[in-house]
Amino acid sequence: MSNSLLAWIVLIPLLSSVTLGLMYLYSIKISKIPNYIFSIFALSAPFLSFAIGILFFLKMIGNDDIFVYEAYKWLSVDGYNMYMGFMADRLSIFMVLFVTFVGGFIHIYASGYMKDDEGYGKFFFYFNLFLASMLLLVLGYSPIIMFMGWEGVGLCSYFLISYYYEDSENVKAGNKAFIANRVGDLGFIVAMITMFYYAGADGLDFAHLEIGLASVPTNVLTFIGCALFVGAIGKSAQIPLYVWLPDAMAGPTPVSALIHAATMVTAGLYMVARFHFLYDLIPNVGLFIAYIGAASALFAAVIATKQTDIKKILAYSTMSQLGYMFIAVGLGGYSVGIFHVFTHAFFKALLFMGAGAIIVTLHHEQNIFKMGGMKNRTPLIYITMLVATLAIAGIPPFAGFFSKDEILLTAYNSGEYFIWGVGVFTAILTSYYMFRLLFVVFHGTNYEKNRELHPLSKSITIPLVVLAIGSILSGFIGVPELLGGHNMIGVWLLNFGEHSIHVGHSAQWYLMGINVFAAVVGILIAYKKFFKYDMRIEPEQSGLIWNKFYIDELYDRVIVQKFKKLSLFISYRIDVKVLDMIVMQLSKNFIKSGYVIARLQNANTRFYAFFMLVGISVMSTYLLIVMR
Amino acid sequence: MVVDLIFIVLAIFAIGGGVGMILFAQPMYSALSLIVCLMALGGVFALLSAPFLFMVQIILYAGAIITLLLFIIMFLNIKNDELPDEPNKIVTIAIGAVLLIPFNILILKAFNTFPDKPMNILGNDFGDIHSFGIELFRGWLVPFELISMLLLAALVGAVVYARKEKIDG
Amino acid sequence: MADSLLSYITLAMILFSIGFLGVISRKNIFIIYMSIELMLNAINIIFVALGRYNESTGPQVIAMIVIAIAAAEAAVFLSLIVVLYRKKKSLNTDLFTSLKQKDFSNE
Repeated sequence: MSNSLLAWIVLIPLLSSVTLGLMYLYSIKISKIPNYIFSIFALSAPFLSFAIGILFFLKMIGNDDIFVYEAYKWLSVDGYNMYMGFMADRLSIFMVLFVTFVGGFIHIYASGYMKDDEGYGKFFFYFNLFLASMLLLVLGYSPIIMFMGWEGVGLCSYFLISYYYEDSENVKAGNKAFIANRVGDLGFIVAMITMFYYAGADGLDFAHLEIGLASVPTNVLTFIGCALFVGAIGKSAQIPLYVWLPDAMAGPTPVSALIHAATMVTAGLYMVARFHFLYDLIPNVGLFIAYIGAASALFAAVIATKQTDIKKILAYSTMSQLGYMFIAVGLGGYSVGIFHVFTHAFFKALLFMGAGAIIVTLHHEQNIFKMGGMKNRTPLIYITMLVATLAIAGIPPFAGFFSKDEILLTAYNSGEYFIWGVGVFTAILTSYYMFRLLFVVFHGTNYEKNRELHPLSKSITIPLVVLAIGSILSGFIGVPELLGGHNMIGVWLLNFGEHSIHVGHSAQWYLMGINVFAAVVGILIAYKKFFKYDMRIEPEQSGLIWNKFYIDELYDRVIVQKFKKLSLFISYRIDVKVLDMIVMQLSKNFIKSGYVIARLQNANTRFYAFFMLVGISVMSTYLLIVMR
Repeated sequence: MVVDLIFIVLAIFAIGGGVGMILFAQPMYSALSLIVCLMALGGVFALLSAPFLFMVQIILYAGAIITLLLFIIMFLNIKNDELPDEPNKIVTIAIGAVLLIPFNILILKAFNTFPDKPMNILGNDFGDIHSFGIELFRGWLVPFELISMLLLAALVGAVVYARKEKIDG
Repeated sequence: MADSLLSYITLAMILFSIGFLGVISRKNIFIIYMSIELMLNAINIIFVALGRYNESTGPQVIAMIVIAIAAAEAAVFLSLIVVLYRKKKSLNTDLFTSLKQKDFSNE
């Protein structure tokens, strides 16, 4: 089995998306193609990639192999070669596996969710293109290839958020996502250039960079680390570039599930983990990353406690959980962070899909205070979402407990007690707002009992079940030795830098207990306030927190308006008045001078003869002077 | 010696005639000055051992062409006040003269490089009708024929011009 | 002085210049015509002088051909003057400007 199969992991979704795109064009221009033909291509692609990923995974068990496949020479400048290369090591294969697995089930869900939509083929074209870009990002063997995937996922995110493009608000949300991502990309590009300049003499792939960066001065490394992290801030929605994530909920729910829960937002995490050799050398930047993560986690959790739109709650919850992951990778616990990425993918995707199911069932109602008492009417959704909510709150033995516990242990272990405290407090808030959502939507009394429910197809419900099982089981790959497990994921990703655990066993038990206690506290507060919520009471829709601390408005005033004014100024004053003036005047004067010269032709023969004389005279003088 | 004197007198007549031609306002006086100039030029031809040409010049140029010119001048019957206004005559002549100086200097410099040879009148039938005719009909037959065609064309053209007026009128 | 080629050439050039100046500076069409004739004659002198210089009769023949051409030109030129006089009733060459560039400056 050759390494070229690595390329097929990326190529299969890419080819599928191109085929889907062509078929879609055919279907709108020539004759319609039924949905199931699109589905055949679209749904098989992620699972085929998963199968190839399993093949490589099996080869990697028990050894330290890294598979590199250099497909073709992409650039060759003056002897310096850059190849389109793919690299599969333990980290990237792990990412490939869960991205394709979770992604595949979200594809199935989407085929049910979007089945009545006109642009079914177009949707899956974008969806598969996104998957291909994500896989390219994960499997790239050099930061340049990774950046191609990085840009690709940002682009597809824009396409998919603005999917319902007839409403200009959705397009604005897509723009916001793309532009915020772009600001982050600037950081990434600057970092890449600096890396190339200082350490890229032998080649720009990760293996060479690891060697080259060891000898670069620390202040340059700090600069590179910060610039790379700016890229991660944009992509993974941390402070201050998070503003696009809540607005991105304007896209269809499968998009939120795939992109903004399981895959794209974790690209920033993957990038930091991939550059572990860099961040190991600059622990100060790591600390900064951890602080940003903690701040984002707390900030998002606070806002989520007062939101009323079900998808927005989940969006802020994503941002908050991403903050946790950054706490982990910032403090050197790369495998811990990636573990939380893994478990989060399962339960967050499940939460989004469940929310989407509820929204569709209630005829596109998104305000949780207009729902209620759904427990008896949609029991399957209730059970799966209960599982997911328990997981995210961190109740054992569900998945979130193990990963969150590891993160807080890493924080405590590094001596960052302030971050640890913030993490625990945020855990309380997390379980509070998630159970608030659960209780308000599923319990309580609904005074519109007689509303007809929109029926849900199997393709929506089956993935919910699968992912619920995953949310329960996925935690078990990371059970720490404390509880008798082998911490398989820590072992698997061992070469990514694990600080030794200083904290003693009994302290670890205490910490674990504090985490569980925090989660239960949150549940109790939510229970008291919302278990028997009366839907007729409208919640207060004002106040600092409800308005998301006015950050969007602040950005608008300070940055966006200024840019708009500048662009208007340039386009109307400078472009029209100055530049057009210059160009038009130039051409007009040219024509005018033509007329002036044309007036020499005044049909007066004597005049012509006079000028002939002038010419002769000039020539004669010239000849006299030159030819002595 | 005598030849030099003759040359100088002829030159004065020629140049004087020319200057007079361009300075007189009335065309009649200019034409008469031109006759003086052409006669002098005929004399110069004679000095240059071209007796046939001397005669041709007198007969053709001064006799035929200028006569035709005088005929047309008198035919059109221009009154003095119908003559065109030429206020800047002298100024333009002056400027033109200045501009022409380099050209003349150039030509004269070029001719200065010729080695000196005597230019006295040759006696041995050089330029005589006989030798002239032999030269013309031997070496220059084709141009001769072409000239005849040219004259025919000129004749026809003149008649056409005159004729056109009649049709219009 | 009559012995040198240069004096003849000088005479010819002076006459040529006078003729040229006449073409440029006068507006009366008769004068222009006469100046052209004067220029032709000056060229004739150069031809004949060079013929004498090289002791060849060729240039003399050329000179006669030039005279013939001048005669043909006279015929055409003068009938043209008559036609033009009938058109514009004036001898001013500055009036014959129908070929001039039309004024488009206020496009």
